[in-house]
Amino acid sequence: MPKATPGVLVQCDPSIKAIINKIDAERNDYIIEDIDDETCVVKESKYKELQERLKEELKDTVKEAEESGSD
Amino acid sequence: MSVASLRSLEYLEQLPGTVFTRLYQQPSTALAIFRRMLPHLAKTFVMAMLYMPEPLPVADLEAWVRPDSSREKDQALNVLERLHILPSSPRAYKLSDSFAASLRLALTGGGNHRSFGVPCSTPDKHQVSIDFLDAYAQRQWETILYYVVSSAGTGMEGGVEISNGSKTLLQLGNFVVEKARRPTITQMGFEFLLQETNGQVWNLLIVYLDNAENLKMDPVDVLSFLFTLGSLTLGQDYSTANLSPTQIQMLEDLADFGLIYRRSPDSIRYYPTRLATTLTSDAPALLTSTAGPSASSLATATSEKSGFIIVETNYRIYAYTTSPLTTAILALFTHLTLRFPNMVAGKLTKESIQTAITYGITADQIVSYLTTHAHPQLRKTHPVLPPTVVDQIRLWQIEGDRMRATPGFLFKEFAGEEEYRGAVEYADTLGVLVWRNDGKRLFFVTRYEQLMGYFRNKPKKGAGAAG
Repeated sequence: MPKATPGVLVQCDPSIKAIINKIDAERNDYIIEDIDDETCVVKESKYKELQERLKEELKDTVKEAEESGSD
Repeated sequence: MSVASLRSLEYLEQLPGTVFTRLYQQPSTALAIFRRMLPHLAKTFVMAMLYMPEPLPVADLEAWVRPDSSREKDQALNVLERLHILPSSPRAYKLSDSFAASLRLALTGGGNHRSFGVPCSTPDKHQVSIDFLDAYAQRQWETILYYVVSSAGTGMEGGVEISNGSKTLLQLGNFVVEKARRPTITQMGFEFLLQETNGQVWNLLIVYLDNAENLKMDPVDVLSFLFTLGSLTLGQDYSTANLSPTQIQMLEDLADFGLIYRRSPDSIRYYPTRLATTLTSDAPALLTSTAGPSASSLATATSEKSGFIIVETNYRIYAYTTSPLTTAILALFTHLTLRFPNMVAGKLTKESIQTAITYGITADQIVSYLTTHAHPQLRKTHPVLPPTVVDQIRLWQIEGDRMRATPGFLFKEFAGEEEYRGAVEYADTLGVLVWRNDGKRLFFVTRYEQLMGYFRNKPKKGAGAAG
């Protein structure tokens, strides 16, 4: 009989996955099942927190392109 | 199936089996569920089995379906099982007795269940017209919507007042939350706004049902009455005499939503409006201009539903509308620049779309809103919206969220390739499979109940096929 684990399936780019791994590495309490460099399963209760953390990380690394405001 | 029936289906599913037995005692409920919630194939199964005295062997039912349509068959049976219409059994199918009896009653008439409402026996001295009912329903419903949209703080506040009951309900449903004594819209609220009217009505009613018990109302009574309303005739007055105390209590709230009309709170009669009579049908819940010339008298948002928005390839939007409600909804995701008496104009910008997305509106919702309300002139082209704009809206969304997340269940540790294949294919036919990795023998599903049943029944199934 196979095992069923509840969680949130996260699919993303390898670059984002690397950041998720980095966040998880601190305390190992987000990822339940690390599948490959584009997929993992995280704890449902922790997903929102992970999203926030990811946003924080990205804010520092990704520069938003300027909007060409031609109205 | 529409969003609305999906939402009501979800609500029904989580009710215990005993509730269904009580619900199905009402012919109107059985008919409404049959009409509204079942896929076509499931309807065919039900009709074929309705007058069958004996249970139908599984093999016979399988013989009805072409082998290449087994996916549809499984889905139909799945819905029937979830609604407790066709209890699952390994050998033979038989419709639930109470459901079958009620549906037969509904189709052939007879009995004194009165679940299809009792028309008033005396003529109303102040008979109201259908036009009046439509206008009333629209006014009540739009007030609620406007209350929600004005809480978005888009500068559209017009001091809308709705009854305390509706206000509480919107808060309980998490459409609006009270922040610093000001109502503030939530993500749910935005989703609510962009739905079609029928979906909105169901969403609000489901919140109402969830809270029925707190108000000392029997949810089964409430639900039965809603299904009854769905079977009433527009323009006919119905007597309140045979309603249960719970249902009498409901009348007041439903009048607030605009689902029914009563001249005074102690009137002995009530009129269902179009919002109520279309609860369990696919007809539009508020009049649109396709419904006839009388619609022109409803000079607000919904009368323009046939289409009033023009989207240009340069992301500019022109909306021919006089309604503050529509303007406010557009302002949620458009950068509005010009406002004329009969038209607003603006532009979809990265900023405006991404603001909407942080509120919780999805790109798909925006696109579907623009498509449903596209101007007839725009409809002549195919696809309706300029593809560049649609793609760009989606891209703006992806830029914001970089991971795709699906809550559900991961299946792992399969004994062998064969077990894995069988399970993953079954999950796929059920339509619950989200992701699979054949190399690692892992897959991810949104629901697991039926799969568990599959693992439990599998040895039995094999033996049954052999014997």
